[in-house]
Amino acid sequence: MSKEFIINVEHLNKTFNVNKKEMEVLHDITLQIKKGEFITIVGHSGCGKSTLLKIMCGLVEYEDGIVERNGHKVDGPGPNCGMVFQEHRLLPWLKIKDNVAFGLKGMPKEEKDSVVKRHLEMVGLDGFENSYPSQLSGGMSQRAAIARGLANNPTILLLDEPFGALDALTKIQMQNEILRIQKNEKTTMVMVTHDIEEAIYLGDRIVVMSARPGEIKDIIQVDPYVSKKRNSAGFAAYKKRIYDYFFEDTEQKYQQDINELAI
Amino acid sequence: MKVEKVKQIAMGMIIPALIVLLWLGATFSGSVPESILPGIPKVGKSFINMIKAGQLGNDLFVSLMRVIKGYLVSVLLGVTLGTLMGMSPNLKRMFLPVITVIRQIPIIAWIPLIILWAGIGAASKVIIIVIAAVFPILVNTLSGISETSERYVEVAKLYRLSKWQTFIKVYLPHALPQILVGLKLGLGVSWMAVVAAELIASTSGIGYRMSDARSLMQSDVVIVCMIVIGALGIIMDKGLSVIFSLFTPWQKVEAKK
Repeated sequence: MSKEFIINVEHLNKTFNVNKKEMEVLHDITLQIKKGEFITIVGHSGCGKSTLLKIMCGLVEYEDGIVERNGHKVDGPGPNCGMVFQEHRLLPWLKIKDNVAFGLKGMPKEEKDSVVKRHLEMVGLDGFENSYPSQLSGGMSQRAAIARGLANNPTILLLDEPFGALDALTKIQMQNEILRIQKNEKTTMVMVTHDIEEAIYLGDRIVVMSARPGEIKDIIQVDPYVSKKRNSAGFAAYKKRIYDYFFEDTEQKYQQDINELAI
Repeated sequence: MKVEKVKQIAMGMIIPALIVLLWLGATFSGSVPESILPGIPKVGKSFINMIKAGQLGNDLFVSLMRVIKGYLVSVLLGVTLGTLMGMSPNLKRMFLPVITVIRQIPIIAWIPLIILWAGIGAASKVIIIVIAAVFPILVNTLSGISETSERYVEVAKLYRLSKWQTFIKVYLPHALPQILVGLKLGLGVSWMAVVAAELIASTSGIGYRMSDARSLMQSDVVIVCMIVIGALGIIMDKGLSVIFSLFTPWQKVEAKK
């Protein structure tokens, strides 16, 4: 059953200890991702989306549930799974080319150089090999981070709100580029975002999550002909459908807050 | 741009010029006895005499050799211990309280005990330098290493770097600018410590020359030594700055922004 999915998550629960209090961050998450899919996960900040992503790539441990990549239990980061963080996390002391090559191991220098060159071209940063991260703008840094994520040719790329800090225009440009890259490289992508339009535009399927504990409320299959037209009525319909989840969610939350206040 | 630069330098010269003027005024009027404050020409003359006699060169050589020995030991000890403490919370818990207490003792207060233990020869000077210089180096290394952001460490984890590789590629470069600050402070402190130690008890070195000259009422020699000590301190500090900036090219780029 799990073989046909590149990522398989079943009944995953995760709690953190915060100030000696158990806090449930993820509750009964079940999610299967097919090879080559583009999955977007939307939800409030603090709903455990990032934790889910980090568990998938093996940066955060889990105790309860099944998490598999390529049919194998996840027990740490692997070469087939790349990740792009919310902040670019380029190492300030390395030139861009060395940052992109950071995860490349056991490779002759010429091959390394050509891999770096190819990936910098892919994200439109050729010519910036010898710059330092502090010399690049936010959008350029995030491109370099994507190049680093793709450099060792992962089958899966996890993206944790990678465009969250970018201005609206750069963001749209980056969204188009990530789609182009995904089409060319056939990489399976999972992107966490709090931008509903971004989630619709990019995702083949949209996972809607609620907060505290993080639960999957719905998984929406998106019609690609509709979702790529931002001004279409269909796009607006998706938007409304997702908005409604959060609207209902916040209402409940306020209600709960009021109840707590009353006690 | 150029005018700005000239203006900046001119501003920096105002206070030194005032000091020289005051000095000239005090000595020319004859109201200050020469044994207390010699005139500038006299100080210049004894500077030239000290160089010609080879005395100044000898004194400086002796002091500098002590500094080099003590400084190298301090660098080795400070960087190693600071790194180990930065990487291991347990070592940090063990050593930090002791270090914090010892650091409060001024270096001058160590000198009597070190003389009792090691005499007044070169060994005691080196020990005093090490006690003075090791802490700024250690503390700066420690904070550079232990303040390495978890975010960068996570990137190393993602790419499955070994512990050693993570240290070389993440912790060390992150700490490097601060280690270099520690190394600069350490050299400055070494220089001060050797002069202090030689002043109190020694039979050679630039500090000894000063205390010898004081007992002979040669205030001109004392002032020459002070100026030379200050000048050498600046040269060493600037020298290290230039050398160190080669090690951290990314910082130059950041500074330009």
